[in-house]
Amino acid sequence: MMNVKELLAGANRQLEKLKKTRAAGIVKELAAIADRLLPTSELTRAVWLASLVFSVALLLLPLLVKLDGRPHADWEQFLGRFHPLAVHLPIGFLVLVPLLELAGFYRPALREAASFVLGLSFVCSLGAVTLGFLLAFGGGSTGAVVTRHMWGGVALTIGVLVCLLARPFWESDAVQHVYPWMLTCLLLVLTYTAHEGGTLTHGASYLTDYLPAPVKHLLRLGGTADEATPGSFYVKHIHPILDANCVSCHGAASTKGGLRLDSYGQLMRGGKDGAVVVAGNPSNSLLLHRVMLEPSDKQFMPAEGKPPLKPEEIAWLTAWIQQGASPTATKLAGIAIEEAPEELPMKPVGDYSALMAEIAQMAAGQGAKLVPVSHNASDGLILNTVDIAPTFNDAQLASLQKFAPYVVEAELGRTAVTNASFDTLAKFTNLRALHLEGTAVTGDGIAKLAGLSQLTYLNLSGTKVTAAAAAQIASLKTLRHVYLYNTPAQPAATAAAMQPIARSAQ
Amino acid sequence: MKQHPLCTDNEHAENVLGLPIPTGLKQEWMALENRRRFLGRAGKVLGWAAMASLMGDRGASGDAHAASTPAAQGPLSPAELKLPHFAPKAKRAIYLFMSGAPPQIDMWDYKPNLAAMYDKDLPDSVRGGQQLTGMTAGQARFPIAPSHWAFKRYGKTGTWVSDLLQNTGKVVDDLTIIKTLNTDAINHEPAIMLMNTGNLNPGKPCLGSWLAYGLGSMNDNLPTFMVLQTKVNPKENNQPVSSRLWSSGFLSSEYAGVGLRSGGDPVLFLTDPNGVSREVRRKMLDAVEQINRQTYEELGDQETNARIAQYEMAYRMQASVPELADLSKEPQSTWDLYGEDAKEPGSFAYNCLMARRMAERGVRFTQVYKRGWDVHGNVTGTLPILCMETDRACYALVTDLKQRGLLDDTLVMWGGEFGRTVYSQGGLTPENYGRDHHPRCFTGWMAGGGARPGITYGETDEYSYNVAKDPVHVRDYNATILHCLGIDHNKLIYRSQGLDQKLTGPVTANVVQGLLA
Repeated sequence: MMNVKELLAGANRQLEKLKKTRAAGIVKELAAIADRLLPTSELTRAVWLASLVFSVALLLLPLLVKLDGRPHADWEQFLGRFHPLAVHLPIGFLVLVPLLELAGFYRPALREAASFVLGLSFVCSLGAVTLGFLLAFGGGSTGAVVTRHMWGGVALTIGVLVCLLARPFWESDAVQHVYPWMLTCLLLVLTYTAHEGGTLTHGASYLTDYLPAPVKHLLRLGGTADEATPGSFYVKHIHPILDANCVSCHGAASTKGGLRLDSYGQLMRGGKDGAVVVAGNPSNSLLLHRVMLEPSDKQFMPAEGKPPLKPEEIAWLTAWIQQGASPTATKLAGIAIEEAPEELPMKPVGDYSALMAEIAQMAAGQGAKLVPVSHNASDGLILNTVDIAPTFNDAQLASLQKFAPYVVEAELGRTAVTNASFDTLAKFTNLRALHLEGTAVTGDGIAKLAGLSQLTYLNLSGTKVTAAAAAQIASLKTLRHVYLYNTPAQPAATAAAMQPIARSAQ
Repeated sequence: MKQHPLCTDNEHAENVLGLPIPTGLKQEWMALENRRRFLGRAGKVLGWAAMASLMGDRGASGDAHAASTPAAQGPLSPAELKLPHFAPKAKRAIYLFMSGAPPQIDMWDYKPNLAAMYDKDLPDSVRGGQQLTGMTAGQARFPIAPSHWAFKRYGKTGTWVSDLLQNTGKVVDDLTIIKTLNTDAINHEPAIMLMNTGNLNPGKPCLGSWLAYGLGSMNDNLPTFMVLQTKVNPKENNQPVSSRLWSSGFLSSEYAGVGLRSGGDPVLFLTDPNGVSREVRRKMLDAVEQINRQTYEELGDQETNARIAQYEMAYRMQASVPELADLSKEPQSTWDLYGEDAKEPGSFAYNCLMARRMAERGVRFTQVYKRGWDVHGNVTGTLPILCMETDRACYALVTDLKQRGLLDDTLVMWGGEFGRTVYSQGGLTPENYGRDHHPRCFTGWMAGGGARPGITYGETDEYSYNVAKDPVHVRDYNATILHCLGIDHNKLIYRSQGLDQKLTGPVTANVVQGLLA
């Protein structure tokens, strides 16, 4: 037993000794390095001290002079705006430094240049940081990206300074690894800072906007608002529901629960509780869950007593999520939404400018006016007869045939025109609106207007149009708005019971 | 001694207008002449001497004045202004102006949750340090006053409308309700001025004048811009409405609104006195016109031309206004729709009916003023009276325009100059409460030409105090109205006082696309 103990103790002693010598060796080595590193001359000491003071000052500057988000002096902004220009100098120099160092292995002269370029890049970095700070402070910029970019710039400048100080030791082989590692870190900081700066000028998605879609999907960068294509089911039906019911609380202005629903990207991103839409899985989609609760439920959405979503709206949401929550799909299986027919695009008419003199003459003479719809000649003319309405008759209308192709609206209300004018009007090929209210027309022969491919509005109120004649109107396929108020075809409604005002309720 | 070119002897000089020189030069000369007269009267020779020495050669060569600007050359026609800028949806507009500020919470902006907050204090954070009017700034408390009236859903859109507006509720599918109008002023005069002229201070042209100037007349026999005032009901709290609101400001006075009186003759002294035939009247007007033309040639003041045009308009109105105001040919269905009130000149219903008749006859812009909405301390007492006077007529006007096919190209607007507060002004009891002025949000509606029917635009917070979503400032509202009438608000400009003046003012205004059809 004793033997074993002694053996053990002996081994321990050996170990201690070994440790001591090794430790002593490390300490010695460190001391040696320190000896080599510590400034020997007054000048180097002064340089080191100055660098330390400078670095601390640079670090403290943004803390003392805070970016307060208010614009300041004009001269600051003026100078500051040279920052994006000046900033490229230190970037170029800093990239050049490691290249020169590497090339120096083969051509020593280049390594000497590296020292100079490094010094140059320090001066430029300092200038760029100063201008950048003037830009942010003078222009009143704030925000996370600005702050990150600013600290990146400060760190970079201090890093260059440290490299500059460390380089002589590396060059003289006194300390081997510090400088190369410092330089590598410096390049990483440079990349980071430059990227933040690029984000500031070009926007966050600038680099990835045109990334091939599969890569984008892989990187989970998908779902910017732009991805929702115009005319898609999302844009036409889903977005309006969210906009009308949710966005006042879940939007840019107020973002409750960290959730925004004002764009496709935001919708798919979700909020504090995670995703609210799980494509293809309505039952796991929080958004649907919350709108389908009992309105009395505390978690029910829309909150604050707003009206619940309509059943069809919930059906659309469900189907949309079930079928992949796509930002591009235009149709969903099983969902048919009746859409109001779109207004016909206005067909441009020919240029009537050459006839303006004649038109003016006519207005001065018989009194009927042809008024431009707008400044654009292709929008056509409006025939205005209100000043001479009681006397404006079929013959006068017929005399306007020359202008017929340019007339898009004929205001013949309360004039003396009769059924005979339908023949003339059939030649107004670009007519969109025809006013015959309060005239003597009975509608006989109105089918002659069937050739007017643009006619959408026909006003016959207050005329003697009969139900039989009104039936002919059905043959005019393009008509959207037909008015037969106060005619034999549509007798005026009898007195409708008017609601008395509730003096009090509740 | 050689005379200074500006000091020619006016009495004996050759008439420049007779010289064979370009008309542009003549107009320039006339503008100068006008200015000369003014200065001549003011300072005579001494003034001229000072002027000439100050201006030096520039004065002599004539480019020191603004004759080259359109303003100095007199009014331009819509064709010269290149208007409308694009094909308009609306050719004319009717503005039902509810002067005094209707309380949005009791009429349109449904806030059911307020009932539970009866008599609780409005949180300070909601007011956010806002400066209140002198009428409530001194109140110790700002107790929440829920609406006294129940709301119901109307139309296919299921829009909530107060029981006070059971008739207007029936046309809610045709309305574009804007809940988030907001203004800069908290008192009537500046706010009503801002609504009408785009500026808090008087002196700028109003919306109607801009339209008259920009779009011109559609009917030579009636004014382009007409104003109808509703008879005052002494039971209501009436704020004054003055002709400043339909003034043409720096535009020619031809474009000012022409008011029809609310009682008796629509236009005073329009009928010829006994013994004066229409021929005699014509001769007299011709003679007056000749005198006026001489004055114009002598002085070159554009206002003289405006006066000639107004005499002529009055002459034509002698024939057109009696026809306009003759309601005997209205079918019975009209009276069934508007109610018997409409037979009484000066009532709001009568004015709405007249507005429809004017729309039919090509009046570009009709503004109907209804005063009395300044309900302050007695909401439950006066609001039902106000709604009784206006609800059916608003419904009737929209319905009537629609059935007659006029709503397609007529834009109708309803609204006041601001809203009213959710907190009670003065005492809050279960029976009655008050509401003070509130500029941060108020409700108005549009209908017809260019407006998107059946929508409610914008949202207010739970107290109807601040805008939660989609604010519509007065200048954006005015820009949108101009857009419906085919006008780009940034291009309808008149140079005055050295500025390119426009209805929406110098601050950027935006057409609210969400309101457009």
